[in-house]
Amino acid sequence: MDADDRALLEATARKAIAGAAAGGREAVDAVLAEIGWLDLLHDEPRAAVDVVFNALGALGGTATVLDDVVVSALGVEPRAELGVLLPPFASWRPPGRIEGSHVHASGLATARAGAADAMWVVCSAGTELWGVTVPISVVDSVVVRGIDPDAGFRSVRVEADVAGATRLDAGAWESAVAFGRRAVAHEIAGASRAMLDLACAHALERVQFGRPIARFQAVRHRLADALVAVESLEAALGAAGDEPSVETAALAKAIAGRSARTVAAQCQQVLAGIGFTTDHLFHRFLKRTIALEGLFGSADEIVVDLGRQLVATRRVPTLIEL
Amino acid sequence: MEIAEFRAGLHAWLDAHHDQLAPAYSPPGTLDEHIAQMQRVKSLLFDAGWMRYGWPERVGGLGGSPMLRTELGAAIAGRDLTNPGLYSLIEVLAPTVIDFAPPALAAEVVPRLLSGAEMWCQGFSEPGTGSDLASLSCRAVPDGDARTARSWVISGQKVWTSLAQYSDRCVLLTRTGPAEARHRGITAFFVDMNSPGITVAPLEMINGEREFAEVFFDDVVVPADRMLGELNGGWAVAMSILPYERSSCFWQRIAYLYRRLQRLVEAVPDDDRTAEVVGNAFLQLYTLRARSRATQHRLAAGATLGAETSIDKVLVATADHVTYDAIRRLLPGVVEMDDSGVGAAWRREYLYSRAATIYGGTAEVQRNIIARRLLHLGSED
Repeated sequence: MDADDRALLEATARKAIAGAAAGGREAVDAVLAEIGWLDLLHDEPRAAVDVVFNALGALGGTATVLDDVVVSALGVEPRAELGVLLPPFASWRPPGRIEGSHVHASGLATARAGAADAMWVVCSAGTELWGVTVPISVVDSVVVRGIDPDAGFRSVRVEADVAGATRLDAGAWESAVAFGRRAVAHEIAGASRAMLDLACAHALERVQFGRPIARFQAVRHRLADALVAVESLEAALGAAGDEPSVETAALAKAIAGRSARTVAAQCQQVLAGIGFTTDHLFHRFLKRTIALEGLFGSADEIVVDLGRQLVATRRVPTLIEL
Repeated sequence: MEIAEFRAGLHAWLDAHHDQLAPAYSPPGTLDEHIAQMQRVKSLLFDAGWMRYGWPERVGGLGGSPMLRTELGAAIAGRDLTNPGLYSLIEVLAPTVIDFAPPALAAEVVPRLLSGAEMWCQGFSEPGTGSDLASLSCRAVPDGDARTARSWVISGQKVWTSLAQYSDRCVLLTRTGPAEARHRGITAFFVDMNSPGITVAPLEMINGEREFAEVFFDDVVVPADRMLGELNGGWAVAMSILPYERSSCFWQRIAYLYRRLQRLVEAVPDDDRTAEVVGNAFLQLYTLRARSRATQHRLAAGATLGAETSIDKVLVATADHVTYDAIRRLLPGVVEMDDSGVGAAWRREYLYSRAATIYGGTAEVQRNIIARRLLHLGSED
């Protein structure tokens, strides 16, 4: 996709999501379907994920399209009525396990789990990996309000029969996690830039000691650090798109977590009193990034995992070249 | 030549010539030994052609994308054949001379720099001029009318001039207009360091090395045809350095830091605390690498690099600190108490790394630029 097409897609997605955001996740999912989300994901997976998730983050929109990203990464045809079981918060292990003829699974799911007719569950069985579609009747799901009730997450348990399970390639889950991580990191990137925009606007408007607080170097340096964090994440996402791999996606997700924390801390301090209220939009982005940070592993866990790999192999990979 | 093809060919050649290229001294080596090593490596690379890729044919190059020479700098830094802090002066100075010197002069001197026959230094900072470069006061006075003078007479002082005592030439910024003219009253010259009236006094750095110096100019006569760029156009010359300093130089530094982390993971115990420290350093280095890669792709696509490279500068300084902090944390006693050659080398590098938030524009100046130019927060007053 060239730059012009991408810009057009971005404008279309943002307009659609902005118009529907107030209607909640059903409305946002509906407009994304209208603009051809599933075809786009099939034809232009990178641009589709980059643009749509970034826009969701930037506009504070809630949708369930993460299910489609993960499902299609597993080689399954995505559809609006098919949900997927995500790993538990702060984890990236397969959410299910097969014991004998039985599937036990638990994890998180998007709001789609409340409306789907079936869910895809990836299970480990010893060293093997299996995927199984379970009817919604065997899915026990509870709405999670948590820090961000608008995000619509659900806590899910599945007890089902293994019938119909299919064997997956050993790397299938890792690859699906990588797609999921890139998508979530894009959403965090959009939300992080939104927080920074809000804080900059506030700094320019808010007058204290006879001048806008944007003139104080202490404030400027906080916002500068926030921009460094936002652009670091955007660079990591660019690299992960150009050189897709399990490692570049893991790094993008870890950098997303770290960046969001930096941006949130600096912007919240600059927004001060007003940023501490629900009158101001900031809190929505803050809460969304906190909720998203744990999907497919948080930065701290990913960093330790990467460090273990480096020490175990005694090798520091460059991963991306000029 | 395609960059991947260049990289593969280069690394194959470096592998094949490892014994010839490797330093003869044992660590840490003296600065004299480092300089001799660098010039020897440049000479071998120049003769084999690698050093000529990415430079224009009119200065003895073989053409091709400047990214080729970035790859070369990174390859030799990543193999510890040269120190990028010394080597990357090429990237800071040669493009400036190519763009602003009379063509015949550039054609004569640039191949001498690339082949290791010469060293050059950069005379920008002064005792009263650190971050505020436009305040410099080292004066150049024309012998007669400024437009027709055949020579200029330079008086004043420079400081933090890296490798001045080894240098044959200096790209020098001088004041040619009134001080109030600030950046509009500055002119650049290409000065022979053996000119009468130049005194070099090396300064001992915090790590014991004498890498930079004070340089005194006492009525130094410089021919008018050594002016770089226009009269009072020295600011453009100074600014022309930025794109290379913030792209290819950084890529070399990144390769050097990756090599440090590689050496660290070869030496540390395999436990959870180590994993966390190593993982964090790797994350910071990779972040910098991703950003720098994007910057260089923009440069190669024809973009003019500007204020946004302050973000690259913040990231390179952060990664430098984090890498050496990891080394200090995971190799306890090495920086602090180890008198072996390896310990001395780590100690010297550790102490040098503390300058990363100071040289090339301090961390605070970068944040000021980011706030004003990238976040559009207006002026501070």
